[in-house]
Amino acid sequence: MDKLTIADRTFDSRLLVGTGKFSSPQVMAQALDASGAEIVTVALRRVDIDNPADDTLREIDRERFLLLPNTSGARTAEEAIRLARLARAATGIEWLKLEVTPDPYYLLPCPIETLKAAEVLVKEGFVVLPYINADPILAKRLQDVGTATVMPLGSPIGSNQGLKTRASLEIIIEQSNVPVVVDAGLGLPSHVAEAMEIGADAVLVNTAIATAGDPVAMAVAFKLATEAGRRAFVAGPRAPAPNAEASSPLTGFLRD
Amino acid sequence: MKSLKVNGVERQFDPDQLPGTLSALLEAMGVGTDAVVAEVDGRIVRREEFARTEIQAGQQIELIRLMGGG
Repeated sequence: MDKLTIADRTFDSRLLVGTGKFSSPQVMAQALDASGAEIVTVALRRVDIDNPADDTLREIDRERFLLLPNTSGARTAEEAIRLARLARAATGIEWLKLEVTPDPYYLLPCPIETLKAAEVLVKEGFVVLPYINADPILAKRLQDVGTATVMPLGSPIGSNQGLKTRASLEIIIEQSNVPVVVDAGLGLPSHVAEAMEIGADAVLVNTAIATAGDPVAMAVAFKLATEAGRRAFVAGPRAPAPNAEASSPLTGFLRD
Repeated sequence: MKSLKVNGVERQFDPDQLPGTLSALLEAMGVGTDAVVAEVDGRIVRREEFARTEIQAGQQIELIRLMGGG
């Protein structure tokens, strides 16, 4: 499969995986391994003083996986910038999944705060991968301020609804000069394959793998779907047609 | 008593028991190596700096860790 380049790094895998919601660090590590992912997202939280040493990320091999800290929990640009600086100080990594989600019910990202934060963080040297609604104008504005990707949602985080935003995603993909990573709401391998078939550069999956009956087997399914969708896109799929077009020759000997 | 606000909660210490550095505070609270970065009155402190970062009563301290997330 052709390689994915984001900022100055190149990756074999086009599947990014989140590390939330796994039942144990061991299951997470096995699922990450099976997924073939090279970029994995992590979050920052306060230490639980009454229950410390709950290090679910100890199983992640940081030589193999690029940690992509996120700013989950931020509701304003100011909070996202604070989390970003903490993440960089904690990990030494300048890559950042920027997410600003003021609405706790649908967890939809705020375009205005996201753009404000992106402007500041790009200037501070962060490699910014912003999580956004599937808004082509916003995607262009973010690209113009220097984000490394855009990450439009398929549907709300963790909802497993698939590509509800397909028409807008197609416009973003057509117009974007930076990689388009479809993030959120991808509940099935077929959703991922669809995103890749329409030309997304990569996808990010967490809930659908982590909460599956068998997360490791599901990670494999998502890996294969990502590859299948990408290969189909590169191979040049034909557009649907309203009428039939025979695959077999209709001329023959049955009738004169 | 002297107090520190740690992760949003006021913690009381006998004056002679107040930890002098961030590392000493982590030890006193049994947090170990969980915290990967901290804020002292809003100033970011890397883990490598915990041992030499002095703290004083009345400060607000945030201890931050990495965890799973999407």
